[in-house]
Amino acid sequence: MRRLDPWLQLAAPVLLVVATAIVGSFTARATEIYFLTAITSVAIVVAIYVFVGNSGVLSFGQISFVAVGAFAAGVMTVPLDSKQGVLPDLFPLLRDHTIGDVSSLALAAVVGAVFAFLVGIPLMRLSGLAAGIATFAVLEITHNLLREWTKIGPGATTLALVPETTDLTRAAIGTVVVIAAAFAYQRSRFGRSLRATREDAAAAQAVGIDVHRQRLWAFTLSGALAGLAGGLYVHMLGSITADQVYLELTFVTLAMLVIGGITSLWGAVVGALAVSGLDSFLSEAEQGVGVGAATIDLPQGARLVTLGTLMALVLVLRPSGLTGGREFRLPRPPRRRVAAADGASKEAAREPV
Amino acid sequence: MMSEAPAQTSAPALAVDGLVVRYGGVTALRGLDLELGAGEIVGLIGPNGAGKSTTLHAIMGAVPAHAGEIRLAGKSLRGRAPEAIARSGIALVPEGRRIFAELTVDENLRLGLSGRRTRDGGEEAVERVHEMFPILRDFRRRHAGTLSGGQQQQLAIGRALVAAPDVLLLDEPSLGLAPKIVDVVFDALGEIRRRGISVLLVEQRAQRTVAFADRTYLLANGEVRLTLTPADAGDTDAMVHAYLS
Repeated sequence: MRRLDPWLQLAAPVLLVVATAIVGSFTARATEIYFLTAITSVAIVVAIYVFVGNSGVLSFGQISFVAVGAFAAGVMTVPLDSKQGVLPDLFPLLRDHTIGDVSSLALAAVVGAVFAFLVGIPLMRLSGLAAGIATFAVLEITHNLLREWTKIGPGATTLALVPETTDLTRAAIGTVVVIAAAFAYQRSRFGRSLRATREDAAAAQAVGIDVHRQRLWAFTLSGALAGLAGGLYVHMLGSITADQVYLELTFVTLAMLVIGGITSLWGAVVGALAVSGLDSFLSEAEQGVGVGAATIDLPQGARLVTLGTLMALVLVLRPSGLTGGREFRLPRPPRRRVAAADGASKEAAREPV
Repeated sequence: MMSEAPAQTSAPALAVDGLVVRYGGVTALRGLDLELGAGEIVGLIGPNGAGKSTTLHAIMGAVPAHAGEIRLAGKSLRGRAPEAIARSGIALVPEGRRIFAELTVDENLRLGLSGRRTRDGGEEAVERVHEMFPILRDFRRRHAGTLSGGQQQQLAIGRALVAAPDVLLLDEPSLGLAPKIVDVVFDALGEIRRRGISVLLVEQRAQRTVAFADRTYLLANGEVRLTLTPADAGDTDAMVHAYLS
């Protein structure tokens, strides 16, 4: 059974995503968007997990890579005849060329990776509070560049006319790719090294692990996966503004990771799907939704208040999240208790050294 | 049979000359000198706060040296990053084991391969550690945090050995272990001696260390007060005097 564990750790989150897509395909068109959003959220949260979960370093900046991925994929897939009219100020390279939507996802991943690598070179020397604040600064810088610089995007207006090609099938395939990459990474020598630095950075250095380098690899991979997720996101929405990939998305996706369990891939997937479900319901409830004979009509803002409260409760009551921060595994029969009845010590009950 | 023989040089395996370490305004080491020959076991004993662990941390680059020189086989280690020092042929078994509790025994052991100077021979190194500590093979898929204290100490020593170091630093390897398990640890040190690895052993068990090591330095207040040989193991008066001085 133990030999199957690694494959179950990959299969379980993949099956959960595929099952969500299948269920979503049987729902009405108006409801399908919630399933699409949930699956795309999984991709974003898993991308964040690759760095934050494995390194133990909190980053508020990963949504920057979602943002650059989304804008890169979006800008480069707006039809050429429309682009020159609606985005006249773009650099000529961006204005006069267009690429296919699948190629745009690859481009989004590359742009996310390069951006993360460049930002990570100085930032990955930081830990704790300093790392959190510095990555938040990256988010702020990215947001303002996307919002103000019309050479690379629409500026403060909406980037529209992006082909809506992320359907349930493509969202599921893209997200499975992200999950598989995260799984392969955490099983690799690089992933093990980074998790060792998460537990004890000084001890990891003492065995020859370069903490900065390991964090930089993970940050870059996380940037690539976040960029890809951003590409899926923009092709799901068909239009995007800089505000849509900023503070609220940062808060919601971090809440998903914390609620699911920050230190496991399974936690990232479960948290993203569970909170997406709740988030969708609360969004509807803010507009008034019928539940049986009753109507729930929540005031505006109740959605984020509820998610914030839930995140705080999880941190207080179950800091390791819904999954306990562990990977998926099948329940096992309890082990026989050795020498418990005769009062032998715990040490003696173990195998001899 | 040892296949990864330490490098043969005329310089001592490890030499510390005039090492000064300060924590803010407090001087922890005051011009420490010590030498470790190839294949030698050197003990470092002394009261709490004498500077024993600081010496190991300074050698590994974890704390900066204010003055002095540290040479590994004649090459200076000063100013190098801890991970670079760990990859240059020196390995540390830290106080309190500091194994990676959430990783498996096998993952812990293989992380030690990061310290190897060559990519070849990693599997053989793991196999040799399994021969020395069979429990690490039996429990290789267990989380390291579930091991007993003695088993964790074997894992910490094994993790250091797979890096094929020329010099092994051990920081109180018997700390908190039952007497029977302390014997297991010292038996392992005997095997390490037979493999020709130089060992700098920091210990609180003064008499046992003096009897076991080729030479033992007694540290007090950041400097060497006494150099002892196994013949001095019974001379408790001299040790007590140096401890209290």
